[in-house]
Amino acid sequence: MMGAGSIVVVRNLVKRFGDLTAVDGVSLKIEEGEVFGLIGPNGAGKTTILRIMATLLLPTSGYVNILGYDAVKEAGRIRPYISYLAEDAGTYRNLSGREYLYIVARIYFDSNTEASRAVEEAVRISGLGERVYDKMKTYSKGMKRRLQIARALMTRPKLAILDEPTAGLDVFHAKHIREVVIRHVKEGGTVVLSSHNMLEVEYLCTRVAFIHRGHVLFEGEPKAIINELGVSNLEEAFIEVVGR
Amino acid sequence: MRKLFSLVEKEVKDLLRDPRIYIGLVVPVVLMPLLGFLMSTSMGSSIEAGVERLKIAVLDCDKTALSNALLNLSMSLGADVKMVDAADLDTAVGEARKLGSNALLVIRKGFENDLVNFRKASVELYVVMESMSLGSIGAYTAVEGVLALSSKFFSNMLISKLNPSISPDVVRDPFNISTRSILKDKIIEVPPQVLFNQLLMGYSIMIPLLLLMLSITVVQFAATATAVENEEKTLETLLTFPVTRYDILLAKLLGSSILAVIGSILFTGGFILYFNNMLSLSGFNFPVEDVSQLLPQPPPESLILLTVSLLLAILFVTSLGVAIGALSSDVRMANSLLGVVIVPIMIPSFLMMYGDLDTLPLALQLLVYALPTSYPIMIAKDMTMTPISFETIIGIPYSAALTVLVLYATSMLLAPEKLLTIQYGLRLRGARRRQIKELDNQSTLG
Repeated sequence: MMGAGSIVVVRNLVKRFGDLTAVDGVSLKIEEGEVFGLIGPNGAGKTTILRIMATLLLPTSGYVNILGYDAVKEAGRIRPYISYLAEDAGTYRNLSGREYLYIVARIYFDSNTEASRAVEEAVRISGLGERVYDKMKTYSKGMKRRLQIARALMTRPKLAILDEPTAGLDVFHAKHIREVVIRHVKEGGTVVLSSHNMLEVEYLCTRVAFIHRGHVLFEGEPKAIINELGVSNLEEAFIEVVGR
Repeated sequence: MRKLFSLVEKEVKDLLRDPRIYIGLVVPVVLMPLLGFLMSTSMGSSIEAGVERLKIAVLDCDKTALSNALLNLSMSLGADVKMVDAADLDTAVGEARKLGSNALLVIRKGFENDLVNFRKASVELYVVMESMSLGSIGAYTAVEGVLALSSKFFSNMLISKLNPSISPDVVRDPFNISTRSILKDKIIEVPPQVLFNQLLMGYSIMIPLLLLMLSITVVQFAATATAVENEEKTLETLLTFPVTRYDILLAKLLGSSILAVIGSILFTGGFILYFNNMLSLSGFNFPVEDVSQLLPQPPPESLILLTVSLLLAILFVTSLGVAIGALSSDVRMANSLLGVVIVPIMIPSFLMMYGDLDTLPLALQLLVYALPTSYPIMIAKDMTMTPISFETIIGIPYSAALTVLVLYATSMLLAPEKLLTIQYGLRLRGARRRQIKELDNQSTLG
């Protein structure tokens, strides 16, 4: 069983796709109220780890526990308490943003009042205004991304799994989303995210793990990592660790 | 149920607003009646033009009072009769063509003599075929009509000459035949031809055709709805929601089926309007009275069997559609894979539309019995004419078992692990194929 306050416990996680080993013996622990960042180049295994946490993929071996439930045997019990934002999450072209949010809200909440409250919250997070009534095929890439982040956070998940949450957003909207993530954590949520944006990770995350070729190379608080490695920022720290 | 309704709402709204599907739903309603109207107008005007411009050139080799009477009779029936004077047939044909006639009528010498001696008189008819249009056929039918009426007139004249006290109609057609049909030991007050026209149209053509349309529409909708989820990258998100994969599958099945039923109703409407337009055409109007009231009503158990088999058939094809869509990375790939499924679905419908199952080769019979889509057609064909066959009854549990198997396989496919792994494998194979092709190209260029 997991330790007190641990939302995610991953032990010796291995995931293979045929001949390819995407994740090779990863162990992690994410505590309640953390913003945990997975950092690594393309193909490092970040998305595979997040998909396993989101109950989309099964581990080849190892153990994953989310919110006290076994991610393999009790996936159905985990899903009501988590939200997953895929890196390339799309939208339903012919639904309006509001219709989509309301359909998702009704899946998560039993009462219409709660569902409506969640939708209003999502509209506020997305910042789409009146455009939320338009069909999603008319949205820009950034608008779709904002709507999906709003969808992921409106259900007030205990664990939000965000794969590249600000990818494709301009600086203003990216800043807005970072603030929304921080507020979500302050309100009792926990977030695990992946990002290529080291500045963003440094600003947002309470702890990070450097992932490379399916392995965790380094783990800790961003400032502690920077101090320990004697570099000026997280980007330099990552290059230093990977280059060893 | 709340979760399921939300998912069904998503399916129906997203599909119904898709212009590609919207066009598919609306086009038959507009196109079919329009097609019927255009075809009937075109055919009608061709026939009318052929009849209105009926010009008959006549080579009268007999030149007697009775041959002259035949010509006058033809003129009185509306034909534009022009005499030609020629020594042989070729010259007569040339003359007829010059006059722009539709036909050349040759009255051979001895016409009157044969008639007054109660022998068959020779008349030859040469019809000018201007084109392979209905206009030429219309002209031919009109000339034949004129000759048939003239023949009847002469027949009456000859019979009256023999015995003025008897009716020529009785001599010509002494039997008063009234034909009835026996159906399931019950006498139906209509001839078999009338029954055949209505039953053939209703049970042997309309029902298989509608089921075929329904199957094709539903499999397309289900495959498109699922493939779009892959194409737009929404399936991955959907699979993380707190819903079971059975909810997702059921929502896809229900959403696609609802739209397919709407599509089929619209298609039926369009098809009926098409037939109404076609059948309103002069010459295509069969004097068929409504015999549906006279037919023995199908037993209730056959209607239950029909409903069950229809539901199973729809579930079966929809599951196949979802499976195809789930395995396809985009709609284009789904459409390519659909061809593999649609063709076997179409074959039994066509086989049963135009023939009896028992007379088919064994391999085709097995194909028909193997598909759940065949059973509603079999039941529809059997339920009015004969008791439902044993093979058909056995087919219901067989269809149910096969449908459950396909549903289970499709739901397993919707497990994210399997789906993502299969899709990953397919992508990897595609990438490897491309790599090998590139290497081949490079070595060829080198």
